Amino acid sequence: MSAKDMLPIDRDDASAAWFDAAADGRLLIRKCPAGHVSAPHTTTCPRCGSTTLQWIEAAGTGVLASYAVINRRDADPLPVAIVELDEGPWMRMQLQDVDPASLATNDPVEVRFAAPEGGEPIPYAVPRAAG
Amino acid sequence: MSTLNAAIVGLGMTEMGKVYGRTATQFAVEAVGKAASDAGLGVADLDGLLVNCGLGRQVGMPLAADLGLRDLSVLSEIQSFGASAGVMVMQAAAAIAAGQATAVACVFADVPLTEGKRTGAAYADPKFRLRPGFLGIPPAGGLLGPNVGYALAARRHMDAYGTTSEQLGHVAVSTRKWAELNPAAQMRAPMTIDDHQSSRYIVDPLHLLDCCLVSNGAIAVIVTSGERARELAQPPVYLHGGAQSHPGYIDERDSEFGLVTGAKKSGERAMRMAGVRPEQIGVREIYDCYTYTTLVTLEDYGFCEKGEGGPLAESGALAPGGSLPTNTGGGQLSGYYMWGMTPLSEAVIQARGQGGERQVADHDYVLVSGNGGILAHHSTLILSPHPKEA
Repeated sequence: MSAKDMLPIDRDDASAAWFDAAADGRLLIRKCPAGHVSAPHTTTCPRCGSTTLQWIEAAGTGVLASYAVINRRDADPLPVAIVELDEGPWMRMQLQDVDPASLATNDPVEVRFAAPEGGEPIPYAVPRAAG
Repeated sequence: MSTLNAAIVGLGMTEMGKVYGRTATQFAVEAVGKAASDAGLGVADLDGLLVNCGLGRQVGMPLAADLGLRDLSVLSEIQSFGASAGVMVMQAAAAIAAGQATAVACVFADVPLTEGKRTGAAYADPKFRLRPGFLGIPPAGGLLGPNVGYALAARRHMDAYGTTSEQLGHVAVSTRKWAELNPAAQMRAPMTIDDHQSSRYIVDPLHLLDCCLVSNGAIAVIVTSGERARELAQPPVYLHGGAQSHPGYIDERDSEFGLVTGAKKSGERAMRMAGVRPEQIGVREIYDCYTYTTLVTLEDYGFCEKGEGGPLAESGALAPGGSLPTNTGGGQLSGYYMWGMTPLSEAVIQARGQGGERQVADHDYVLVSGNGGILAHHSTLILSPHPKEA
């Protein structure tokens, strides 16, 4: 919902399509011809080495594979996590709208995007009702 | 593997910590000079130089010219992050075995600290981290620097095995007890579990006292053949085994990230080469960028069952007087932070029997670990004061 705890970054050629989709609220991940799904940053399938990866749209839902809370000097504690997408890949991102004191591994979350001033959209996760 | 015939014969350490006004190259020159002199050699006797720069990347192959070395037969920069010290020693041993060099200096130098800037800024400065595209996305969301990555790894271990923050605190307290006995350690005031628990969180679950120091300085070692080592000034420290493992975790479901590290395979290989089992190792010098790293590495090396690192630390086994002396100089947590040269330097001191008040009686085999990236790179050395039987 908020980009106040984010820093702006630029796109590069490899990430241009991904950021375009993110601007529409869609989370893209990679898929190789053999059907292996991998995280957005991969350029070679980590399972089979294929370099002809296509973008597919992820459901945008997942669970916390791990979490941590950054203790900041001049601001509220910032919760972050490894989100395990339903499709399998992990993404590391900020958590929002959570109580940092009551996080637990396997908490269900969904991925959203916010764009800090002057930068591309950055993913973050919010709680999702289980089920 | 019977071709392994190398020994560490010199150790050089500069002043380390909040030491300002000197470049990484200046530190490196001093460390190499001290290491050569410690071995009973002159710098001009070196014909090999391996250089590992730290985060600042301020020292490299030009160091040869600064040392006045004009005809090196081996010169390289080595970069395996925290695993580099072990990797350099293995590369030096390989060059010596191949007849390409006879005396190789391996040096690490870094100046991450700037006077007037907070220590934490050294390794989490957004200027270094915010690259365009995918690499920039986690930092843009606040996941800056290694503290966050290791906190996420530690949380997985805690969830999977029930490891507690207090158990991590026992690693910190045991390590501090060793530091109290080491004049070269930076943090020597006694520490209690309460001190650990009440220290502020850096990144929950890691408290301040779960995290290593950051230091300016340099450390160098000199590697020669076993035969040559016996003619030099110091008791030789023979290399019995050396190995690496780079786990290449795939970031997805069922990843072992945080649970099993490169220490497992690297340790198995190194111990097989040395012909030793974990129970024969008297001294453990573990790369302890965090308390958690000590704990998970000891598990992966087989010093306890998987998941039992927490109870092991709690038992006091790692502390002075314990059954598994570990990080006997105070490690990176309380001693000094020179990447993999921290465990390697203390291992050389222990293997030589020069540990003074903190010397471990059984030092026939000393294990050294290196760990780099966020658990991405691992090296293991097995050192001994006794020659390796062919």
